[in-house]
Amino acid sequence: MLRYVIRRLLQAIPLLFIISIILFVLMQNMGDPLATLGGRQVTRSEDRQRLARQLGLDQPLYMQYLYWLIGNDWTKMDLDGDGVPETPGRRKGVLRGDFGVSLVAKKPVVQVIWDRLPNTLLLMGVTELVIIVGSLVIGMYSALRQYSFLDHLITAISFIGYSMPIFFVALLSMYIFAVNFKRWGLPYLPTVGMFDPQVGKTPGQVALHMVLPVFSLSFIYFAAYSRYIRSAMLEVLSQDYIRTARAKGLPRPTIIFIHALKNASLPIVTVVGLDLPFLLAGAIVTERIFAWPGMGRLFLDHVSRGDTPVVMGILMMIAVAVVVFQILTDIVYAWLDPRIRYE
Amino acid sequence: MLATGVILALLASCKPTATPTIPPPAAPTAAPTAPPPTQPPARKVATFIWTQEPDVLNPLYTNMWFSSITQQIWNCWAWDFDDQNNPRPVLVKEMPSEENGGISPDGRVITLKLRDDIVWSDGKPITSEDFVFTYEMTMNPKNTVASTHPYDKLEKVEAPDARTVVMTFKEPFAAWQATLWRGLLPAHILRPVFEKEGTIDNAGWNRAPTVGCGPFVFKEWESGSFIRFVANDNYWLGRPKIDEIFIRIVPDDASQVAALKAGDADLGTFIAYSDIPTLEQAGVQMVTVFSGYNEGWYFYLHPEKGHPALKDVRVRQAIAMAFDRFSICKDLLLGLTKPPATYWANTPWQDPTLEPWPYDPERAQQLLDEAGWKDTNGDGVRDKDGVELVLTLGTTTRQIRRDVQAVAQQQLAQVGIKLELANADPDIFFASYGEGGPCATGQYDIFEYSTTPQYPDPDTADWLCKEIPSDENPAGVNWQAVCDEELDALFQLQATQVDPAERMKTFHKITRLIYEKVYWLGVWEDPDIWAVGPRLKNVRLSGATPFFNIIEWDLSQ
Repeated sequence: MLRYVIRRLLQAIPLLFIISIILFVLMQNMGDPLATLGGRQVTRSEDRQRLARQLGLDQPLYMQYLYWLIGNDWTKMDLDGDGVPETPGRRKGVLRGDFGVSLVAKKPVVQVIWDRLPNTLLLMGVTELVIIVGSLVIGMYSALRQYSFLDHLITAISFIGYSMPIFFVALLSMYIFAVNFKRWGLPYLPTVGMFDPQVGKTPGQVALHMVLPVFSLSFIYFAAYSRYIRSAMLEVLSQDYIRTARAKGLPRPTIIFIHALKNASLPIVTVVGLDLPFLLAGAIVTERIFAWPGMGRLFLDHVSRGDTPVVMGILMMIAVAVVVFQILTDIVYAWLDPRIRYE
Repeated sequence: MLATGVILALLASCKPTATPTIPPPAAPTAAPTAPPPTQPPARKVATFIWTQEPDVLNPLYTNMWFSSITQQIWNCWAWDFDDQNNPRPVLVKEMPSEENGGISPDGRVITLKLRDDIVWSDGKPITSEDFVFTYEMTMNPKNTVASTHPYDKLEKVEAPDARTVVMTFKEPFAAWQATLWRGLLPAHILRPVFEKEGTIDNAGWNRAPTVGCGPFVFKEWESGSFIRFVANDNYWLGRPKIDEIFIRIVPDDASQVAALKAGDADLGTFIAYSDIPTLEQAGVQMVTVFSGYNEGWYFYLHPEKGHPALKDVRVRQAIAMAFDRFSICKDLLLGLTKPPATYWANTPWQDPTLEPWPYDPERAQQLLDEAGWKDTNGDGVRDKDGVELVLTLGTTTRQIRRDVQAVAQQQLAQVGIKLELANADPDIFFASYGEGGPCATGQYDIFEYSTTPQYPDPDTADWLCKEIPSDENPAGVNWQAVCDEELDALFQLQATQVDPAERMKTFHKITRLIYEKVYWLGVWEDPDIWAVGPRLKNVRLSGATPFFNIIEWDLSQ
C-alpha cells in the first residue's frame, strides 16, 4: 500500500505541472487586470503602462509563468521605465512556497486564501456532515421501507430539491425565514453575514447565521446522496449473504449496519471522495447570496479582476486536494472491501 | 424534514422578536427603593452594505469606487465637496485662490495653508511633511500605486514650514481642485516602512490603517465579511454622533435588498432601478445623487477601420433621432432618470442651451436618404456602394444594458439600420488595445458604457487625438478614435485655464461641438442611487464626496 501511495504521489508531480501551465495560459484570457483596476473608469494610459511594467505584466507569457514558478529574485526589474533593469526581483516562486502577491488585495496569496479558508471549511464541513447524516437516514429508511408512502414522499421532495436552482432556494428561504418572518412578528433568522455587529462574533451568532446557507446547500444535495444510498442499499439487501445472515438469526441492526451498510458504502465513498476537494472551493452562489466570506466568493471576485496569482493559488490548491483525496478514497476502498488490493 | 428542522431551530434559538408582549402586573412594593442605576446608552452602530469589497484602503493603491468612498470615513481629503459640489476646507484654512494669494498669477504655484488643529487619530499633528511624503510615495517607481495623476503634473511639492504646502506645476493645471490630495498618508507611520523595505506596497497600513485622519478610525477588517470603524475622538471638525460604522460586504443585489427590507442594514448603494419601488414600500428612503456619470454610446470613427456610414455626421444624427432614449428612461428605468444631452450633463460645464436629440424617426429616415444610404436590394437594410448598414453594438453583460440593446435593435431596424449585438464581461470589455479589448481595437461600431470626467472637474483625456490607441500607443483611451482638430485644441486649452469663467466658455464650445457632431449619444443620466434605512437621520450625500457631513449623521434607536 505504501509503495502504491508513493507511486501515486510521484505521478501527481508532472500532472500538477501540466495543470499549472494550462491554467496559467487560460488565465491570460480571463480579462485585463489593468482594464479598470476594479473602478468605474478606464485606467489612464500612462498608469496602465507603468503598472504593467512594475507588475511584470508586460513580460512575455513564458517569462510570467517562469517568475510565478521559480520567482524573479535571480534577475533585475526595470521599475522606472528607463529601459535599464535596476531593481532586484523579490518573488521566490511557487516551488519555494511563494505564490506571489495579489494584484488586487496587495497581500500574499497564501494570506488571502488563509483569511477565507476557515470560513469555507466551517460552512462546507457542516453542510457535508448534514448532507451525509441526513441522506444516510433518508436513504436507508427509503431502502428498508421501499414503496411505502413515506418512501414516495421522500422521493418526491428529493426530486423537487434536486431540480431547483440553488439561488432560488437560497433567496426563497431568505425571504421566508428572514424578511417575512420578521414582518409577521415570528422568530426570524438573519439575512446575510456571519454575525450581528450589535452582538459580536459569538459562536451562537455564527451558528444562527449558518442556518439558512446550510439549509439551502443541503436541500439541493440531499436528493442525489439519498438516492445513491437507497439504490446501493437495495442492491446489497438482495444479496445472498444478507439472506444467509438473516438465516443465521443475526440481529437486524447488525445485518443492516455491519453487513449491508458497509458494503453499500462504496459508491457513497466515491461520491464523497470526489466532492471533498471541492469543499475547499466553497459554494460560489450560496456564499454570494448569504454574504458568507468564503473561498467561492474569493475565487469569483479575483477572477473578475484578472488576479492571476490568487486564482492560480486557489486552483492549484484544489488540484492538489483532488489528488490527495483520490488517494485517500482508494485507501478507504481497500479498507471497506478486502477484495481490493493495490499491490 | 429540513424545513421542519429550520423551523425548530428558529423557534428554539432566534433573535428576540418584535412581537409586543403584555408585561406581567407589577408586584406591589413594600417601601420606596433607590432608583435603579442608569443604563449606559447603547452604542450607535450603523450598518452599511457595500456590494463590492474594497481592494485596499490606502488611497494611493486603489481606483475602486467603493474603496474611495470608504476612505472618506477614515481618511481625509484636503477639502471635500458638499451636496451642491462646493469645495469645503477640511485640512486647509481656506480654499486657495488668486485673491488670497493661494494661486500665483501664472497659475503654476498653489499654496495651501493648513489648519492648526489637525491631528492624526493617534494624536500626532498632521503637517506639511505628510503632504510631501504622500507626493513622494505616489511618484516613487518602487510603489505600484494605482495612479500618479495628478501628481505627475507637479514639478515639486515643498514644505517651507509645518503649516504650509507649496505646489509648483509644470504648467497651469485647471483640474487641481477635484483631483489633488484625495487622501493623505501618515509619514510617521509609513516612512519607517519605506526606509526598511524600499516600498510601501506591502505595508500593513494599506489594509489596516489603524492611524487615520477621518471622522472614524479603522478598527477591524475581516476579508470578505466586514470592515469596522469607530468614532474618532480626535477629529477636529467634531466627534461623530454615531459610535461605529460596520460595513458589511454583500455581493448579491437581491440579498442587499432583502437586508435593507429586513432592517439588517441602514445604508446601501448601487441599487437597481427595478428595486426602488419595493424598497420605498418597506420604508427605505431612496436618494439619487449625481456624480458625473452618464451612460452613452460611443461611435467608432477610426479613419481606416471605422464603418463608412458612421463617418457621415448625418448618419450619426439619424441614429440619435431613431433611438428613443426617452422611452428607455420611462419604461426600463421607471422614469427615474432622463437622457443626457452630452457627456457633461447635469453640470454647469455643459452649454445650457443644449437639449437631448429628440426622437424623430421620420427625420432620421430623411437624413439617411440624404446621406445616400438607401435599401437598394429590398432586404430591409439600407446600403450604399455595396456596403450594408449593419453595425455592431457592444456593451457589458449588465442586464439593463442588454435590455437597451434589444430595444435599440428594434427601433433602428424601423429606419433600416441593422444592429448586431455583442456583450463582454467588464474586464474584457474595458481591456486596452494592447490586451485586445473589443472597444479599443474597433471590434464594435458602437459601444455603450457609463463614465464620468474627473467629477466635479470636467477634464477628460478620452477625446484627445494622441490618445487614439494603436500598435505604437497600445494603452490609449480614445477608443472611439475621434480626432477632431478643433475639439483637440479646445481640450488642450481648457486643461490649462485656471480662470473658471474662461474655462466654462471653452467647455460650452466643447459640449456643443460633441453634441452637434454626435460623437457621443447620451442614453441615460446615471446617478448614484442610495438606500437610506429609516433609522438613519441627518443624511446628506454629495456626488463627489458622499459622506461630507457624516459627523452629523445619527441613528434613532
